Amino acid sequence: MPPIHELFIAGALIAGTFLMLVASIGLIRFPDVFCRIHAAGKAGTMGISLVIVSSMIFFGFAEPSIIVRGVLAIFFQFLTTPAATHLLARASYITDYPLTDRTAVDELHQFMLSKPDEMYGQE
Amino acid sequence: MALSPFLESVFTWCLAGFFIAGGLSVYRMMIGPKAGDRAVAFDTLATVFIGIICVLCMMWNSTYYFDAVWILTLVGFLGTATMARYLERGRVF
Repeated sequence: MPPIHELFIAGALIAGTFLMLVASIGLIRFPDVFCRIHAAGKAGTMGISLVIVSSMIFFGFAEPSIIVRGVLAIFFQFLTTPAATHLLARASYITDYPLTDRTAVDELHQFMLSKPDEMYGQE
Repeated sequence: MALSPFLESVFTWCLAGFFIAGGLSVYRMMIGPKAGDRAVAFDTLATVFIGIICVLCMMWNSTYYFDAVWILTLVGFLGTATMARYLERGRVF
């Protein structure tokens, strides 16, 4: 493998690992669940995409089928992570997760009914 | 094809970084005040597992485990979505 490929592999892998570490540190440091979702959703998605890109460069010349699997993995990651984080944030807000003291604006509050039962009706 | 010493050391350090990230996620999963925090930590932990699988595939120079990457993506999404739905409505279906 030529040295220039190794440089690209190492660069993408180190950037991806750094972003995953940033996501985990944000998970520990941030004050409430919405900030934690913000950290984990964005940085985690980008980090894992960079790691998959680096393994696509690593295997892609010897085994081209890995390109398809890697693109599929990145596609699913970009498709599912926003949906999952949105569902989690929505569930946390509806179940009255206490916002942190440093929240400046809460625009969603005026649109919320008092109980989740009233939103969905008695199913 | 043997790995060069440069790539070997990069893989080792990145694996260490992923294990630190997984440890921090597990810590948040243990101390999380509510179930929402634990669900976020589980989502991040699934992502960290995907990264560890990628790095180990490159270290061992085999692509046998690479299919686990996108399968684990979908399974992690299913778990998080189910957990969110349960938190929101008090039941899954």
